Amino acid sequence: MPNQAHWSARAKRIGIAALLYLGAVAVGLGSAYWVLKKAAWMNPSVEVGAWRANMHAGSLDAGMYTRATVAVNALLALGRDETMYFVATRDDAGHRLQSQCNYRISGTPPAARWWSITAYADDMFLFDAPNGKYSLNGSTATLNTAGDFSFTTGPVAQGESYWLPTPGRRGLLLTLRLYNPEPALQAAPQALQAPSIQRIGDCA
Amino acid sequence: MKNFTTSQRLWFYRILTLLVTAILVHLLAVWAAPRLIMQVLMHGPMAQKMNMQNQAAFPEAVTARSRSVVMPSPDLLYSVCAFDLSSGPVRITANPVLKNYWSIALYSANSDNFFVRNDRQSQGKPVDLWLVSDTGETHNQNIPSGAEVVVSPSRSGFLLMRVLTTDYAQEKSVVEPARRTLVCSKA
Repeated sequence: MPNQAHWSARAKRIGIAALLYLGAVAVGLGSAYWVLKKAAWMNPSVEVGAWRANMHAGSLDAGMYTRATVAVNALLALGRDETMYFVATRDDAGHRLQSQCNYRISGTPPAARWWSITAYADDMFLFDAPNGKYSLNGSTATLNTAGDFSFTTGPVAQGESYWLPTPGRRGLLLTLRLYNPEPALQAAPQALQAPSIQRIGDCA
Repeated sequence: MKNFTTSQRLWFYRILTLLVTAILVHLLAVWAAPRLIMQVLMHGPMAQKMNMQNQAAFPEAVTARSRSVVMPSPDLLYSVCAFDLSSGPVRITANPVLKNYWSIALYSANSDNFFVRNDRQSQGKPVDLWLVSDTGETHNQNIPSGAEVVVSPSRSGFLLMRVLTTDYAQEKSVVEPARRTLVCSKA
């Protein structure tokens, strides 16, 4: 009988150890997922208005965390001398962007050879836009007399405004791409005249 | 530690093991994530379907149905090639004659962008690159003198050609032939 008790105690210890190891693996994987998907603030970045950019995206200088974050969230990014990427997940008031809300995005064309602003769902893919419009860019934007562009996103069109439909009820993010940005902007990304993002009325 | 009981010491070492294991798994996952994602990109179902190993492939124009790579740009038309330098250099040529932006970017197996050539840099001249690995393979000696050589930090990697198109329906007759000038082949 003592032998049986010995083996029972040993099996219990092994079981506890196995559970601890599984727990450790789960904590390791879970924390990695959290850092790469949910904690963009852990990566060095620049914030301009509602927009945030990681200046090491697509760079050979990228550290392990930046490289992994870019691979998970924006695979095959280019370096900032070629393209700069600014992402907004909140409006100017700091509220998280939602597809069921309408927003007006306006600003001055950035200092780059070419630019675009694209609406993505929170899974990082395009919305199923019924009008086939996914982005506004330097070629399609109509500028007002002050030289500014303006467009809206949301579930319904806002008058004659250029409209990017965002059907459904989910998170929304906007990506501003600057192709061949001016050297001054590359050197000082904080100098970007950030497009404003303002919610229009109540959400659907 | 001599004031602790055997049971307390046992739990101390268990918790220490837990922490060390969690940290190692975390670091390994962060290190491996870009490499695994690139492996799927280069050899996964989409790559198999498009047959892009050491040859150019031409995905459809981006729409809401484009779900193979996150954050696809709806303003760009892409050409792709998964290169493998283990049996020698890969030659890349292209001659897109366009007024708008285009670029050819090369990515290593860990997702780093190690080379870009755009329309401004090419100054209207055709692109002709000899891509070699950095391991000093003897078959790199076959490269003709005067050729433009690009050294890849990894034996395999990915080429992404971007062609700007602001209205694909209207510009199709111009941008489609331009992006299909990309040739990616074992030299």
